[in-house]
Amino acid sequence: MRADIIAAVKQGMIAIVQLRHRADFMRRRCGWLRLLPLALLASLSGCSGHQLRLLHPDGPIAATSLRLSVIDVLIMLCIILPTGIFVAISLWRFRAARKARYDPGFTHSVRLEVLMWGVPFAAVAALAYFSWRGVFLVNPYAPTALGQRKSLLAMPDRPGTGNPLVIDVVATDWQWLFIYPDQHIATLNTLSLPAGRNIEFRLTATDVVNDFYIPQLIGMIDVMPGMRTKDMMRADRPGVWQGFSADISGAGFSWMQFPTRVMTHAGFAAWVAKTQVAPRHLDYAGFRSIARPTIDLRGVTRNFSAVQPHLFSRIVHAAVKGATDTTPMFLTEHMRRDLARRAPYLSGYPHS
Amino acid sequence: MLVHLQGAWNPWLGRLTLSQIPYHSPIVLGAFAFALLAAAPIVGLMTYYQKWGYLIREWITTLDHKKIGVMYIIIGLVMLLRGFIDGIMIRTQQLLADGPRSAAHLQAVHGYLPPFHFDQIYSSHGTIMIIFAVTVVLTGFQNIIVPLQIGARDMAFPYLNAVSLWLTAAGAALVMISLFIGDFSHAGWVGIVPLTELPYSPGVGVDYWDWALQLSSLGTTLGALNLITTIIMMRAPGMRWFRMPFFTWATLSTQTIGLTAFPVLGVALALLSCDRYLGTHFYTAGLGGNLMLYTDLFWIWGHPEVYFIILPAWGIMSEVIPTFSEKALFGYTVMVAATLSIAGLSWAVWLHHFFTMGAGPGVNLVFSVSTMLVGIPTGVKVFNWSLTLYRGRLRFETPMLWAIGALFLLLVGGLTGMMLAIPAINYTVHNSVFVVAHFHTMFLVSVFGIFAGLMYWFPKVFGFRLDERSGRRFFTFFSLGTVFVFAAMYTLGLMGMTRRLDYLYNPHWQALLIIQEFGIFLYCVSVFYFCKMIYVSIRDRAKEAHGQDVWRTSRTLEWMTLTPVPFYNFAVIPVVHGRDAWAMRRDSGLTATSPGDYEDINLPNNTIVPAMLGALAFGFGFGMVWRIWWLAGLSLLGIIGLVILRSFADDRGFTLTAATVRRMERNHEDTGIVTDHISPPVAELALFQ
Ligand code: HEM
Ligand SMILES: [Cu+2]
Repeated sequence: MRADIIAAVKQGMIAIVQLRHRADFMRRRCGWLRLLPLALLASLSGCSGHQLRLLHPDGPIAATSLRLSVIDVLIMLCIILPTGIFVAISLWRFRAARKARYDPGFTHSVRLEVLMWGVPFAAVAALAYFSWRGVFLVNPYAPTALGQRKSLLAMPDRPGTGNPLVIDVVATDWQWLFIYPDQHIATLNTLSLPAGRNIEFRLTATDVVNDFYIPQLIGMIDVMPGMRTKDMMRADRPGVWQGFSADISGAGFSWMQFPTRVMTHAGFAAWVAKTQVAPRHLDYAGFRSIARPTIDLRGVTRNFSAVQPHLFSRIVHAAVKGATDTTPMFLTEHMRRDLARRAPYLSGYPHS
Repeated sequence: MLVHLQGAWNPWLGRLTLSQIPYHSPIVLGAFAFALLAAAPIVGLMTYYQKWGYLIREWITTLDHKKIGVMYIIIGLVMLLRGFIDGIMIRTQQLLADGPRSAAHLQAVHGYLPPFHFDQIYSSHGTIMIIFAVTVVLTGFQNIIVPLQIGARDMAFPYLNAVSLWLTAAGAALVMISLFIGDFSHAGWVGIVPLTELPYSPGVGVDYWDWALQLSSLGTTLGALNLITTIIMMRAPGMRWFRMPFFTWATLSTQTIGLTAFPVLGVALALLSCDRYLGTHFYTAGLGGNLMLYTDLFWIWGHPEVYFIILPAWGIMSEVIPTFSEKALFGYTVMVAATLSIAGLSWAVWLHHFFTMGAGPGVNLVFSVSTMLVGIPTGVKVFNWSLTLYRGRLRFETPMLWAIGALFLLLVGGLTGMMLAIPAINYTVHNSVFVVAHFHTMFLVSVFGIFAGLMYWFPKVFGFRLDERSGRRFFTFFSLGTVFVFAAMYTLGLMGMTRRLDYLYNPHWQALLIIQEFGIFLYCVSVFYFCKMIYVSIRDRAKEAHGQDVWRTSRTLEWMTLTPVPFYNFAVIPVVHGRDAWAMRRDSGLTATSPGDYEDINLPNNTIVPAMLGALAFGFGFGMVWRIWWLAGLSLLGIIGLVILRSFADDRGFTLTAATVRRMERNHEDTGIVTDHISPPVAELALFQ
């Protein structure tokens, strides 16, 4: 067996050398092939820096996800790489033309069979351990990655992590409304947050399901009509991130992005103070006109002050009672035809 | 009307009006022209050579499991092409509509497709590829091969088999007709609720999706019943459980999943239909409905369905790899155990498709672990295939190339699947193109398996080999296309690109989107070579004609029959003495197929009833979609009436005398090639004589 393996490795190395010769030959023959890796590299460098967003987390939640991904991939590679190499070498070594040792009787081996169940089992056990850690670390209701307590019996919150900023998120067809209930303000299609403070989102939708997602800051969480989900996050530093809906919700879905501005503590306080005197107010009736189907093609944003208290629970209750904002035919079936008649779907209903 | 409909309705045509035909869309017109161009030569040639009668007598009315299987595969390949064109359109839209400055063509604000049209295309892409392409082709293989492998003359219920086929065909026809009359669903192949509810999908698109799935799911359930019964009851003498060829085991596991999972889909869709037609509130957000009820029901079917798709492909790999390694499958018993446990586990993992619904840690953890458990038997299978190669004598003919490609894809798909199975990771990539890349990698395992099977069994069914040269090119370009499209797609997933976007807000994705488009181009080249392969093989069929055992190292009973397989399969039912029965016979020099004495063979007559049932089912679906109640009602009555009528038909079938069998078999003893042509008469023709 061991001699076999050594021989196999030797063979593999010879194969690599031969392949390089062949590649040289190919390169001479078709020089343009050389451009291919270059193009790949160029595209990857174009996306270096922060374009590979999942590899550049900016908050504890996203960082935890990344750490677990790396662990997961490493554990899996321990199995997949050797298997892949073993297959590749076998393919090379036992091709008929080479007349290597042929043993049609080698179809069963208890030792190998124990191993082939045991190794994946061990890997899954390890992964299950990390999955168990993970579900608590980024548990949307109380992520321990943010220093939230694990259970009622555990110690109180770590200092500085209590008193999260509460934001109510409402997904309409097809816009985002963010209500800051304690500040009595709200923003449409844009989200402002303080850095270094825990944020607690409570989310619902008026009509159909969406997914709330800000890569680098917070994972996806479903936003569902008539129900309320929760999620928590913290941003490490000020900056601007792109948040958006990740779950198909109809014609306006692709435009459901909301720039997420993270500010310093002082900057956020100043922003709140400024918004609290914004000329637009928001009550339930005003909300219902926002909630009419609208494709936000132009990225319209709005700030509201004097937001009616308990607006969020009113929205949830209305959905439970059966409130719907029916999608008109010109945003579905008749879209193509109306477009042909140059009646664009640009506006949907006008913004209030 | 129990529900509020937007738009007009009248009792004769329901919701159908002239404006429902999208003649104002240049793209649909183009598709129509393409369909005409493709159909015209076929119809022309059929008429010229007067083959319509032949088509009806020998194919439409047939109950022969091999012909039914071939028709399944043809339907599936046509749908595969349609789904592929959808895929090209999706990729092209995303390439063109990248960034706020992207140009506008035709009727769109970005790219060339307005959102509602784009949404229809990816919904039909997913529905077609999963339900009407891959599932259907694989069902075809199981239909053709399983009875041969277990030494049976036909399926347990040949008539039911034809009914399954024509129900599936009716579903596929509904999907196709939606291209030209009305619209298709815009809510994804999974039909996300409450988006599929009437207020948010006021048109007929969702209804098309609903009834097409409903019909084909009925067909698949009946097919599952049939295959399971066949495997349990129809095995040749001596074919004990642990002597069954591995593909048969894979089929048994697959169809057990099918029989138990597809009815769940039927119920899920029926409740949705109640909401859309009767105004009930099963899945609505308000008034007592529960939208998670749908999500659960759908994935309780949906996850087993993905294994319904992969298990037969693994079965094909388990036939092809031993044949071209000239070695029996390593660890047969362990493989059987692994397959059965995958089938079992596949029922217990469905929640991993919606970890993000906001469940607590406990729920997500349970399903995370159950999902990862599937990885264990999957790993076992990979190890067994690798060890089958080890110390084999490998020949890299085209079926083997596809099987090995599938093996490597499986490694990648397994890696990413295990990532998705951890909720903490899943939250960041769920609904992203990373997931799309994951399941395409897995489905491509099936597709590679399908092509392996196609190259492998084609000579058995048609009597000549497929052209190696263009077959290899086909493989090369297809694999290269896969690498380019999906390497780029995984990267885009890590860049945070989510799925189903008709407009991409990030211009930095351009480079990778171009790479994907290049991969699509390679796929197109591969399609050319596929067509060339078919053309060249048919042209040179005399040169490539082969006897019983083309590959000379195959191991299972289907290779014992004459080629092309006569409609009675085996002149005399073989007696099985061990696993890999054909290899055993070959090794001990007992390959002669003609024994001393033949017997009369009784087989069912052909009948037109299944095809009529399919046509009526199509009428029913079409009537329901457009709410043409008289059409739906009459079709349903027709179906019920026909089923009752047929149950009274005293059809004793058709007997092939021992003398005829002897003549057919003796003629071809040396070559193993059949040239005689006899087939069962159509039962209904007797009515006219
Ligand atoms: C080791 C085996 C596998 C594991 C651990 C695994 C895991 C997963 C997980 C966790 C998801 C959910 C991703 C998400 O939506 O967030 C998923 C999605 C999916 N998987 Fe797999 N998977 C495996 C094998 C397969 C196979 C064999 C197939 C089919 C041939 C398959 C097809 C799919 C499909 C179609 C979806 C997504 C459907 C959709 O959302 O549209 N997977 N897989
Ligand atoms: Cu699944």
